[in-house]
Amino acid sequence: MAMPVRLPSPGAKGSATPLRGYVEALAMVAASTLIGLVMARRWGTSAVDLLYLPAVLGTAVVAGLRPALLAAVASALAYNYFFTAPHFTFRIRDADDVVTVAMLFLVAVVTSRLAGKMRDEARAAAAHAARNATIAGFARALLSCSSESQIGEIACRRVSELFGCNAALLTGHPVARLVSRCPEGTVLTPSDLAAAALTLDSGRPAGRGAMRLDPAEWSFFPIGTEAAVVAAIGLARDDGGQPVDDSQILLLENLLDQVALALERTRLEAGARDLAGLRERDRLRSALLSSVGHDLRTPLTAIMAGAADLRSRGLDGDGSVAAIGTEATKLERYISNLLDMARIEAGAVKVHSEPVDLVDAVAAALRDVEAGLGGRTLEVDVPIDLPLVRADARLLHHCLINLLDNAGRHSDAGSAIRVVAALEPDGVRLSIENDGRGLALPGPADLDRFRSISGSDRKGGAGLGLAIVKAFAEAMGAEASLCASPGGGGAAASLRFPLNLVLALGELSDGG
Amino acid sequence: MAAERPLILIVDDEPQIRTLLRNTLARAGYSAIEAATAREALNSRDIDRPDLVLLDLGLPDRDGIELVTALGGASGAPVIVVSAREDTDQKVAALDLGAADYVTKPFDTEELLARIRSALRSRQATTPIPHLVKAGSVSIDLARRTVEKSGERVHLTPKEYAVLAELARHSGRVLTHRHLLRSIWGPAQEGQTEYLRVAVRGLRQKLEAVPSQPRLIINEPAVGYRLIDA
Repeated sequence: MAMPVRLPSPGAKGSATPLRGYVEALAMVAASTLIGLVMARRWGTSAVDLLYLPAVLGTAVVAGLRPALLAAVASALAYNYFFTAPHFTFRIRDADDVVTVAMLFLVAVVTSRLAGKMRDEARAAAAHAARNATIAGFARALLSCSSESQIGEIACRRVSELFGCNAALLTGHPVARLVSRCPEGTVLTPSDLAAAALTLDSGRPAGRGAMRLDPAEWSFFPIGTEAAVVAAIGLARDDGGQPVDDSQILLLENLLDQVALALERTRLEAGARDLAGLRERDRLRSALLSSVGHDLRTPLTAIMAGAADLRSRGLDGDGSVAAIGTEATKLERYISNLLDMARIEAGAVKVHSEPVDLVDAVAAALRDVEAGLGGRTLEVDVPIDLPLVRADARLLHHCLINLLDNAGRHSDAGSAIRVVAALEPDGVRLSIENDGRGLALPGPADLDRFRSISGSDRKGGAGLGLAIVKAFAEAMGAEASLCASPGGGGAAASLRFPLNLVLALGELSDGG
Repeated sequence: MAAERPLILIVDDEPQIRTLLRNTLARAGYSAIEAATAREALNSRDIDRPDLVLLDLGLPDRDGIELVTALGGASGAPVIVVSAREDTDQKVAALDLGAADYVTKPFDTEELLARIRSALRSRQATTPIPHLVKAGSVSIDLARRTVEKSGERVHLTPKEYAVLAELARHSGRVLTHRHLLRSIWGPAQEGQTEYLRVAVRGLRQKLEAVPSQPRLIINEPAVGYRLIDA
């Protein structure tokens, strides 16, 4: 793991102490003079001026413009003093010597500019590399985190080390919650927490430095995008100074982006884990219900067959055997509804839509529930020329059985149940109405509401049935509704097949 | 004579259901033998040569659908499938594979006996299909291709007649939508359920006492149609 690079603190950048450059300049000039004096004794002074070039060049490269200019001046003076006639004076007699001094100045200026530029670039490149290494090391450290608190801890520690300040990570909405801080024991005041909440809410920096006269001592920066802030990081310096200066904002933002990615990743991972758990629970529940359904049906089949057998042998003197049969049938329907509900809740309802004749659908449903509607008159008004509708015949069958069952349950023996279908401007409507005790509902009522009303009903099961009707109808693209019967007293439950599910009559033929 | 009693093989893994079925069948005048597994059922098919098989699709040792072909294919005995209400796809698959009919668990005894009677009648297909099939007040003359209601000739479109005749040939048995569409409109029209719906609607208008409350041609939701032969 790469150790974090400690960045220079604000205000302490640039080269070492300036004085050292000037001393170096003078030392180099002195060295050149000494060498010149040795050479001049043997070979004369003609080439000595060139000896000062390395001194000026060297100073320009190492120490910059000003020390180089000093070196040029010192060189000119020394050359003039020691090597030009009249010796050991600062007077210049030859034009040659004037040119030499001028050239030394020029070299100092040009070289130091060039060298300075190169030095700046090298420094910038090194800083850039250091920043990239910092970000990469940071990202790598975050990669090993699997929880929000781990990420908070790493982020706070690293940022605190890098910028030499205190750091704290907060999440939560609307109240900011401290996830992690560095060093431990760092305290945030209520105004700091308010500033953190503002950042979490707005996605913009807040606190010290962001707004004038903000009482907060900490500066808070958003983590994430402005549209989706996942956390906020707070920075503060013990001495009360600005924690991050402008040149470091970019680095901070890069680091915070890494934190945002890491937090987002752990959130997605947690979501995926939850989902997998939920799926597994759903699957188990459905499996359990199916097996319970099967286990209940087998004895139920035996009971129903036994009752039918007794009746067929004329052994049902007082009707109690018939009661066993009808009650067993009801029980079977409850089981069926439970299984349907389990399928709906597991999202396992498959829809196979095909053209369906509502005459067929109503007749099949009536055949299945007729015995259970004992004593009620059935009035069927389904026009034989009603258009076909696109529906899933099985789901529709379950819907109708539940609606008829419900109409029977909420009406008295001897009353009428009407099954009415008609083509209306907004589609085909199939209604099942009763004259019963009704629902005491003021107007159109949502089936879900009905479910909760009758949830405590001793007649139970009705709510489940209607919820199934609603879910199946929606799965087919139809719409289920419930309202007080137009005649008053009873209730009307209807299924509406919108026009896109209605097959145009004119296009139909028997293909013959 | 005991040998005249049709032999019915009950294939079900629940002993109490087998006992009940055996008693019911015995009282209705059938002989019954039992099998609890697919293996026993296949043995029994070869040794006992039943006239009809009542097959529960939820067997522990083998997929019930496979057994439909295995049991029905070689012996030629009609297979009546017993399955839960939800398993419509399974029922249709079994019927398409040659099952004669189905009953839904928990079944009504009377309904079960009616299915058995219809299936056994088609078993005796060695005797030619009767020329005249009666359904309520309607009689269908398959030889002369005429239909009468309460003694009066009814005019049907060719497709309407074809559907009615196919149902009459298998009177009392359910025919899947796919079977009807394939045999009358041809394999290419197998998915055109609306043709069938329109033809059946036409038949009801001409034959039923109350067309919107059909008693002759009965719909089995998502499975097919059945001509009631009472």
